[in-house]
Amino acid sequence: MTDLHPPHLKAFEASVLTGDATAEDLETLKKQSSVYVYEAPVRVWHWVNALVITVLVVTGYLIGKPLPSMQIAEATHQFVMGYIRFAHFAAGMILTVGFFGRIYWAFVGNTHARQMFTLPVTNRRWWYELIYELRWYMFMVKEPKKYVGHNPMAHAAMFFFMTLGISFMMITGWALYAEGAGQGSLPDTAMGWLLGWIGNSQILHMLHRFGMWSIVIFVLIHVYAALREDIMSRQSTVSTMLSGHRTFKDDRPD
Amino acid sequence: MGVTTPNGFTLDTAGKRVVVDPVCRIEGHMRCEVNVDEQGIIRNAVSTGTMWRGLEVILKGRDPRDAWAFTERICGVCTGTHALTSVRAVEDALGITIPDNANSIRNIMQLNLQIHDHIVHFYHLHALDWVNPVNALRADPKATSELQQMVSPNHPLSSPGYFRDVQNRLKSFVESGQLGIFKNGYWDNPAYLLPPEADLMATTHYLEALDLQKEVVKIHTIFGGKNPHPNWLVGGVPCPINVHSTGAVGAINIERLNLVSSIIDLCQTFIRDVYLPDVVAIGGFYKNWLYGGGLSGKSVLAYGDIPEHPNDFSAEQLHLPRGAIINGNLNEVHDVDVRDPEQVQEFVDHSWYEYGEPGKGLHPWDGETSPKFELGPNFKGTKTNIEQLDEAAKYSWIKAPRWKGHAMEVGPLARYVVGYAKGHEDIKNQVDGLLGTMGLPVSALFSTLGRTAARALESEYCGRLQKHFFDKLVANIKNGDESTANVAKWDPSTWPKEAKGVGMTEAPRGALGHWIKIKDGRIDNYQCVVPTTWNGSPRDTAGNIGAFEASLMNTKMERPEEPVEILRTLHSFDPCLACSTHVMSPDGQELTTVKVR
Amino acid sequence: MTQIETFYEVMRKQGITRRSFMKYCALTASALGLGPAFVPKIAHAMETKPRTPVIWVSGLECTCCSESFIRGAHPLAKDVVLSMISLDYNHTLMASAGHAAEAALEETIQKYKGNYILAVEGNPPLNEDGMFCIVGGKPFVEQLKHAAKDAKAIISWGACASYGCVQAAHPNPTRATPVHKVITDKPIIKVPGCPPIAEVMTGVITYMLTFDRLPELDRQGRPAMFYGQRIHDKCYRRPHFDAGQFVEHWDDDNARKGYCLYKMGCKGPTTYNACSTVRWNEGTSFPIQSGHGCIGCSEDGFWDQGSFYDRVTNLNVFGIEANADKLGMGAAGAVGGAIAVHAAVSALKRAQKKQEKVEG
Repeated sequence: MTDLHPPHLKAFEASVLTGDATAEDLETLKKQSSVYVYEAPVRVWHWVNALVITVLVVTGYLIGKPLPSMQIAEATHQFVMGYIRFAHFAAGMILTVGFFGRIYWAFVGNTHARQMFTLPVTNRRWWYELIYELRWYMFMVKEPKKYVGHNPMAHAAMFFFMTLGISFMMITGWALYAEGAGQGSLPDTAMGWLLGWIGNSQILHMLHRFGMWSIVIFVLIHVYAALREDIMSRQSTVSTMLSGHRTFKDDRPD
Repeated sequence: MGVTTPNGFTLDTAGKRVVVDPVCRIEGHMRCEVNVDEQGIIRNAVSTGTMWRGLEVILKGRDPRDAWAFTERICGVCTGTHALTSVRAVEDALGITIPDNANSIRNIMQLNLQIHDHIVHFYHLHALDWVNPVNALRADPKATSELQQMVSPNHPLSSPGYFRDVQNRLKSFVESGQLGIFKNGYWDNPAYLLPPEADLMATTHYLEALDLQKEVVKIHTIFGGKNPHPNWLVGGVPCPINVHSTGAVGAINIERLNLVSSIIDLCQTFIRDVYLPDVVAIGGFYKNWLYGGGLSGKSVLAYGDIPEHPNDFSAEQLHLPRGAIINGNLNEVHDVDVRDPEQVQEFVDHSWYEYGEPGKGLHPWDGETSPKFELGPNFKGTKTNIEQLDEAAKYSWIKAPRWKGHAMEVGPLARYVVGYAKGHEDIKNQVDGLLGTMGLPVSALFSTLGRTAARALESEYCGRLQKHFFDKLVANIKNGDESTANVAKWDPSTWPKEAKGVGMTEAPRGALGHWIKIKDGRIDNYQCVVPTTWNGSPRDTAGNIGAFEASLMNTKMERPEEPVEILRTLHSFDPCLACSTHVMSPDGQELTTVKVR
Repeated sequence: MTQIETFYEVMRKQGITRRSFMKYCALTASALGLGPAFVPKIAHAMETKPRTPVIWVSGLECTCCSESFIRGAHPLAKDVVLSMISLDYNHTLMASAGHAAEAALEETIQKYKGNYILAVEGNPPLNEDGMFCIVGGKPFVEQLKHAAKDAKAIISWGACASYGCVQAAHPNPTRATPVHKVITDKPIIKVPGCPPIAEVMTGVITYMLTFDRLPELDRQGRPAMFYGQRIHDKCYRRPHFDAGQFVEHWDDDNARKGYCLYKMGCKGPTTYNACSTVRWNEGTSFPIQSGHGCIGCSEDGFWDQGSFYDRVTNLNVFGIEANADKLGMGAAGAVGGAIAVHAAVSALKRAQKKQEKVEG
């Protein structure tokens, strides 16, 4: 019988006394097995972003392809399309504020807060890891590696679809909003140049819509990969975005 | 010495060459060269279309439901007629039928265009060939008033004071030294025959017609939203009808119908009290100037238009007649089948295009076009500074369409000649009435003035038809039919994989046809053969000269350096060069031969 | 040289009284959307200025701009031509032709160097040495450059001159080129539309005559006063748009009630023009009021924005036509399918691994 009371396990007395831990558990428990990765502002941003992106995609889709006509009241008292557009604009503004907040946090937050804004393309090791991760997804290696922040593939996806993608959507979105706000308005002063450059607002609309679909595709992959990683990889993912802590499932160094 | 063409004109290039470029007061860009003998008589004529836009190339691969908008932009003067032809071609290809109301509304719009176009043509594009506004300054306003009351007792604007005001306005305009659009006119040319009073009256009507024409087109605005270039719809018309219930103000309602009705009345009044009397009065002074007949007494062609019933284009159901006359035989009117590959063919031997097989004529459905800009061995000047063209070689951006090998004239006069030969009651009465009034024989019809007169008569007839279709529209609505569009085949998924169709109209300038091939929901091939392609065509393989060229032959010029007579006759066709100079990709083949330098 | 007269003198000689002259000025002011305070200013302008010469040249075009111009109601086209400007060269209306017409052009250029307005209808084709459009035996582009050299300002009438319009639509076989890409050293006012509204055309001219300056232009070089807002922003059917009440099919009940044409492909939301306010042909109607959506004719490249009847239109990217919804939905579907397969394989692999562990 294992000695459940060696001195170095004293700290875990409660677990020992209530009997909910095996000796094996306790061996794991004694090690440092979680890293604080995502600070509170990053997590809040993530979930707010998830919410507004959902709203933006749904309302955005309906702005281009509206719901069937409704006869609730006289047009003056009915505002279906108006509310949909309002929700879109409001969500777009929250997205913008959030994104700028996130940029601010990249400067003042921890190292991981900066990861999605840069891509270490000059780092040979990063490319190697990217290919390794790709092979894991192609079932060519048995086990993935451990990552504290984003794995290289996730990192690339975040950079292209979020950092660049959201920027593109904000720029085109605000240029479109500037049209309604009118010439001389603040959005127009800030972003009206884009329409002047592109020439035809219909093109701008369609570019924005292509952007929407790229975000939709990102969300699909992101949610799937997060859940899959949570189950199959060697570290936590979903809970990390709730607690901020990355926990690891084994103690092997690599 | 000269060469006689198969269609009976003797060409002699010995005399002095006179070049007119640009020919103004037309639509688009045109050049004309003639040879004049010592007596000042035109012995050779060369007409050249000097622009090319390539619209049919642009149409390839597009949604057939959009084609009307592209083809409408072929011409902003006969605006709408290409659009109507296009929607007819698409409907023909896809087997789409249109509701009765849509037929009435389309007819009203098409007739409205005829009236507007004819009025603007006569007063603003043509009148200055006969009327001398500078001479009007010498008129006695009182005598002008008397003349006005004599030629048109019903026209209210006829007081001496009224004419004095207009004369004063003209006077100060001329005295300002800034002659504007009248600058460099040929105002002392002896070809102008009107007395000052008639000049003043006609100039006054020039201004009245300018005000009036903007009212006439409002019918297009009501049904199509704007003019120039109103909107059309495959399957009907875009304007819904709602005369009874809630929301009626968002559609064609009684207020809109009243406005249409009042404009129809306005058209009829103006044509009756001003246009027709002016043509008779001015024509009376030029009775002996019966040049310009050209092909009108020999070979004329009309597709017919204004179907009484929707979707029925049989000749007997058309208010404007269909038929072809050849070799001057008015006793036989041939039927026209635009689908027959042997009837309508285009030749390019003298056009800036090339065919795979030289010398051949091609039916529009099998047309080919590769532009090939080259100037013949005897041309004078440089490529970008043409002094004189060589008509023995290629010399125009216009192709040469032929009907069973014959060069044909199309247009109001062609329609009236066909109608007259067919014994069309309205047309016969009008023509006989006018000729009787003026004391002229039927042969006088085959002239520049005949063309101008036919246009005026046709306006009057179209005015009545416009009223007829308005009444029909109202009666139909009264019977409870408010339908204006058939959307059963709106969705391209309901279309056959491949289809081809043809649409025909009578544009103000004459017979207009669009040929379309549709494949997988997209335009595979599109071709227009337009009135000015017929009239303005260059020589063909056999050497037949076109209608413009034929009409100029043997005309006496008072002063060869002042082309009043040339302008007179060319203008009588109301040329539309943007229409005529088109291009066509051969059967589904991408046009790639345009050289980019 | 004959003394050049002012508008006022011309109008007085026509027998127009001071009273009606002032009324006319008031009308002009209201046509331009200006308050009564501007009336004396307009009156003063007209009393002191000679008629400005206008040279109006035509390239590849369909003459719809000239046609629209003569539809002008306030001011009337005849008043513009007889009393406001001196239209010294215009193919559609001028009495002369050939050499005489070209001489008229030359005289005006020489006499009013730097003081005439050049109005351009249509555009020059540049392929085939410009010979797809010939004027006086020479390429139109030469005439355009020649007339532009001494012009005070250039007005680009319509979509052709401003953007290229239909002949410049893909594949633009003649290389039809908008004016501002050929003439780069002159102030250019774009007045787009196919055609522009008549009163917008005369409004731009009278603005320049009245205030003796060029109109304020937006980023694309259009007069802000007429092209500052979208048709959608001032559309009378806008309440139905906001309510979500649309025409679903041509000639349906909603069409008859005058609902929003957005689903019928109306380009009002992407088109800058005065159609919904000034309207067409003396305010009679405008496309949306007559039941057809806007086709966006005053926008750059409006011919190449997919079907006129789609809201989500095709986009031409690198020569490939693509529709955001079709492509996006297809791609999302493909990715979704791939994920499902991947998930299934993952589950299988995981089960195998567990099995191995148990067996191992």
